[in-house]
Amino acid sequence: MSIPVPGADCTVDELMVVTLAREFTNDTRAFNGAVSFIPVCAYLLARRTHAPDLVWAASSIAVDADPDRLAESTLSDAIWTGASMLSNSPFDFWAYAQGARYNTFAFRGAQMDRYGNVNNTVIGPYDDPKVRLPGGGGMADLGGMIPNVYLWSTTHNDRTFVEQLDFRSGLGWGDGGDHRRELGFSGGPQLCVTNLCVMDFHPESRAMRLRSVHPGVTAADVQDATGFGVLLPDDGSVPDTALPTETELRILRDEVDPTSMRLREFV
Amino acid sequence: MDKVRSLEDAAAIVNDGATIGVGGLSMNGAPMAFVRELIRREARDLTVVAIVSSMAVDWLVAAGCVRKVVTGLVSFEGFGLAPNFRRAAQAGDIEVEEYSEHLLICRLQAAAYRLPFVPTKAGIGTDVLDLHPDTTRLERDSATGELYVACTPLPLDVGIVHAHEADRLGNVRVNPKLIWMDSDIVRAAAATIVTVERMADHATFVAAPEHTTYPRFTVDAVVEVPWGAYPTSLFPEYSHDAGFYQAYLAATREPEQWSHFWKSRVGAPETQGEFLEANGGAETILSIRQGT
Repeated sequence: MSIPVPGADCTVDELMVVTLAREFTNDTRAFNGAVSFIPVCAYLLARRTHAPDLVWAASSIAVDADPDRLAESTLSDAIWTGASMLSNSPFDFWAYAQGARYNTFAFRGAQMDRYGNVNNTVIGPYDDPKVRLPGGGGMADLGGMIPNVYLWSTTHNDRTFVEQLDFRSGLGWGDGGDHRRELGFSGGPQLCVTNLCVMDFHPESRAMRLRSVHPGVTAADVQDATGFGVLLPDDGSVPDTALPTETELRILRDEVDPTSMRLREFV
Repeated sequence: MDKVRSLEDAAAIVNDGATIGVGGLSMNGAPMAFVRELIRREARDLTVVAIVSSMAVDWLVAAGCVRKVVTGLVSFEGFGLAPNFRRAAQAGDIEVEEYSEHLLICRLQAAAYRLPFVPTKAGIGTDVLDLHPDTTRLERDSATGELYVACTPLPLDVGIVHAHEADRLGNVRVNPKLIWMDSDIVRAAAATIVTVERMADHATFVAAPEHTTYPRFTVDAVVEVPWGAYPTSLFPEYSHDAGFYQAYLAATREPEQWSHFWKSRVGAPETQGEFLEANGGAETILSIRQGT
């Protein structure tokens, strides 16, 4: 389901992809896990626009893949076309991940907290779950190992953005402040892009802070939809999220994801 | 020694209550024909180690074969949550021992290397370690002061993986050599069963030994099963069957439909040929077949 952005010639999924893509550079060395349509689109878009040297390993396997369309799964061999190398996990992938040769990872969770930690394991108690979710997969590994972590959510509401996770499957800034560094990890979550807004993280407390709101959304709307207090920028003003250019939209729509697999994240 | 077995004979290696490792990654390369054979022989009380799984775990759980799932992730990805896994976990019918991908790899490597533990930074700062502090111990290195996780061995009674080709001696070729976490399952298993798309002459292994993936001394049984990963994929020969995933999920939403679907599409067909026929036969095969 695509949701139009008021007053703009684009949809929310496109705005999210473009916002993320603009964060990536020629130094970005990324890979992806399951159900990661938005970041996969963003890596491919960045590579086709301002960051031609960006590295993306499709499914964490197919280095420099260049598919002509995406598939129902972001762990599917259908998106490995054009790769210059097929990694095998234990050697090629994990050594580069734990050594932070790969430096960029994006994840989402059924729940996220103010410090960018995520839950994809259970809603309710672990031993008696109300909802059993797929599990963290590589989140518990990569949230810590990879220095540039990006979060996204297509369901910005107070069930997703919660005061307290039911289970911490993936590490963001931990308990905030210096906690992540004390655990032995560098970097941390950089940005959280949602269907309502873009949030960064306060440089000291590491709590989520509103950076921009999508057109038609107010800071109050974001706060209402968030289960914890969202920080505002120091000067108190929250700009609108910058809109995609025509070129970005054309490349995303025609070349990166012509069959709109990214909409599978908006159910 | 001739390692070639029938599916029935190979499945008899798996005793009720065994700990088995099931290969594949999500919708790719899972030994589905073997999983179906376990279902048909009504295997029970299995502990299933599947690092990142989709249909394999969901089938075994649906059939009541499983006591415990040891996993990092069980999901149908863009199609949705794994329905039987989810329902059974919520009802308390199965135990789920969750790890992360790399914690499980390290536990399998510790078993393969016969080490007391393999260290990693995986899982630090998450709740995953607290689920099983005996097998993933958070420790601090006395020399450097750095935190690490000591992952204890996870030995498997039987490892089951799917591959492209084998010879009768049990040499196996995954071609191209893309083995995800399957190699860790093979190395950690007391017995390994490999299902393959086709048998190949031993001479072809001698002619290109650099392409051999698993040597014969690690393989206990080889079973020839064409399309043996269906409905998951086998790169680069065939893709997963999106139609099967969709129909399966739709059927789980309608209790009356489900038992018919399960029986006619999964449980009842006796041979692999009948199973493929029940799922669209040649038309399905043409739709999932890749390349030449």
